[in-house]
Amino acid sequence: MTLRPALHPVRRPGPRTAADTSPRGAGRSAASRQGHASRTRHRRGTDRRPRFAIAVTVLFFLLLYLPIGVVVLFSFNSQKSLTVFEDFSLRWYSAFFRDDVLLSSLGMSLQVALVAMVGSLILGVALALGLVRCRSRLGSLAGLVMLVPLITPEIVTGVAAMLLFKGMGITLSTGTVMLAEITFSISYVTVILRSRIAALNPEVEEAAMDLGATRWQSLRLVTLPALLPSILASAVLIFALVFDDFVLAYFTTGVEPQPLSVRIYSAIRFGVQPTINAVGTLMLAGSVGLIVLALTIPRLFGRRGGLDLLSGK
Amino acid sequence: MAQRTRPDGGKPLDRADSGKPAPRTDGAEPLSRPGRGASRSRPGPSAAGTRLWTWLMIPGTLWMTGFLIASLVLVAALAFGTTDPLGNPQFGLNFDNIAAMADPAYRAVLLRSLGYALLTCVICLLVAYPVAYAIALHGGRYKNLLIAAIVVPFFANYLVRMYGWSVVLSDDGPLLRALRAMGFADGDTKILQTGPGVVAGLVYGFIVFMIIPLYAALERMDVSLIEAGRDLYGGPLRTFFFVTLPATRQGAAAGCVLVFLPAMGDFVSAQLMGGPDQIMIGNLIQDKFFQGQNWPLGSALTMLMMAVLFVGMIGYLRRTRKDEAEAVR
Repeated sequence: MTLRPALHPVRRPGPRTAADTSPRGAGRSAASRQGHASRTRHRRGTDRRPRFAIAVTVLFFLLLYLPIGVVVLFSFNSQKSLTVFEDFSLRWYSAFFRDDVLLSSLGMSLQVALVAMVGSLILGVALALGLVRCRSRLGSLAGLVMLVPLITPEIVTGVAAMLLFKGMGITLSTGTVMLAEITFSISYVTVILRSRIAALNPEVEEAAMDLGATRWQSLRLVTLPALLPSILASAVLIFALVFDDFVLAYFTTGVEPQPLSVRIYSAIRFGVQPTINAVGTLMLAGSVGLIVLALTIPRLFGRRGGLDLLSGK
Repeated sequence: MAQRTRPDGGKPLDRADSGKPAPRTDGAEPLSRPGRGASRSRPGPSAAGTRLWTWLMIPGTLWMTGFLIASLVLVAALAFGTTDPLGNPQFGLNFDNIAAMADPAYRAVLLRSLGYALLTCVICLLVAYPVAYAIALHGGRYKNLLIAAIVVPFFANYLVRMYGWSVVLSDDGPLLRALRAMGFADGDTKILQTGPGVVAGLVYGFIVFMIIPLYAALERMDVSLIEAGRDLYGGPLRTFFFVTLPATRQGAAAGCVLVFLPAMGDFVSAQLMGGPDQIMIGNLIQDKFFQGQNWPLGSALTMLMMAVLFVGMIGYLRRTRKDEAEAVR
């Protein structure tokens, strides 16, 4: 991993926003010309690469990946130890695949993630379309409601969901986890898709309507296909998020079966079990694969960007 | 863009034409109307459109209101409830739980949580700023790759990451062994089961929330400002503190909120990295709902936490408003 210093710090006009390039383009090039002119002065010291920042970055990456590396490494350990790596073996993986409780948890997590993905997509895509296009009072109200889970700590939504289900006399089970996860995921879908929809040119839709399409047809035949890459990417993202979610699942799950992350929680609370390393490694591989997929989907459709999917911008 | 949005060519539109003539839209908006282009940019000028958008919004809004808002109201209501002798929660208008919040034991936990969350914010800021700076301004063409390398593991399972971190920080884990070898620590130095251990866990858990907004702010920043600072003979530090830092203040503030919120509510870090002396308010809430089975008290604790966060949010919003007003001026 190398951090290549920019020779002179003038950036290309970023691909971020279209608005960024046009009005300030002239100013940028003027700035860059000046950058060239004064390069010699920069050389004298002010424009060297920030050694401190780079050192911190290297250290940060080291510490970021160390825990993940430890989990992966010791999942292949032949011994139970978490400090001494004895020998390469797959015994913890085979232990996992022979553990019926963990396997049923895996099945439940997959099921929950799938249902939550479909449910939140249906509700979230519709909500996002409505939020962007509708300028009524209901719109701003819905926008506020949608923000609530994003500014509430997960433990609060978890406690609240649990109380709601218990208050309505519903036994906690796979179904309650699904309901809670859908509620939580709608916000993500909406946040991700909102900016995409806002970036769409509404005139294309209007053109379709000028050609005789109804509002609904133009939505179905023009807008939704245009949004497809973002919808697919957020679907994958939601699947990964829900599959990995712990806090909400912890508060809304019943006794049996429990989602995989809840099972991991009880396992690591009561002492270290090396099987968890194997499960953890598989989960890491799964979610990293899904995230990379989500990031590359827009590119597969010939769009740039994808990282902004994660930041919601 | 236009090609992309019409992948199936004119076919679907033809079908629309022959199938349903849709006279309503055509009639309502004659092609020759002047100034129509301007009204188009405002979506949904026709009544039919507005109605469709409203209908699209209703299911999601109802769902969110029914599950989320209702459940939060329930928590608030139960905070005033009691438990009957069997331990079942009862609604009521009872202020005992609210009064119990004044208990020094709870206050200590709340203050500790606040302190840990604030400390987490500060450390995240101190670590994330150089990282975001190095990547945004000196990452070159590896910028996106490096940011992805930070964000992707963050989406991996939170518990597995925390667990791995606790193994790293454990008494004979790699970190302490390295520190001991370098002479920075002796045999008695501990990280796990201490307050700093909890904060380390929180930092590891949520630092990405700090890096993303900071990176976005630094990326968006006009680099010619830094050059201007240098042209005016500002040293690197001076330029940083008087140009770069103020220009990215909003990103830092957003990052602090995004870190503070989950750090305040977390209970995993205190459980894995701390001992009984380091519990946070999240652990108390969890305990009241699972072990203690005192839901009204748990609800009151939840509301207390929300109140603290709410005050913080108001402060943040007022602050950013002021910043925006200054930026406009």
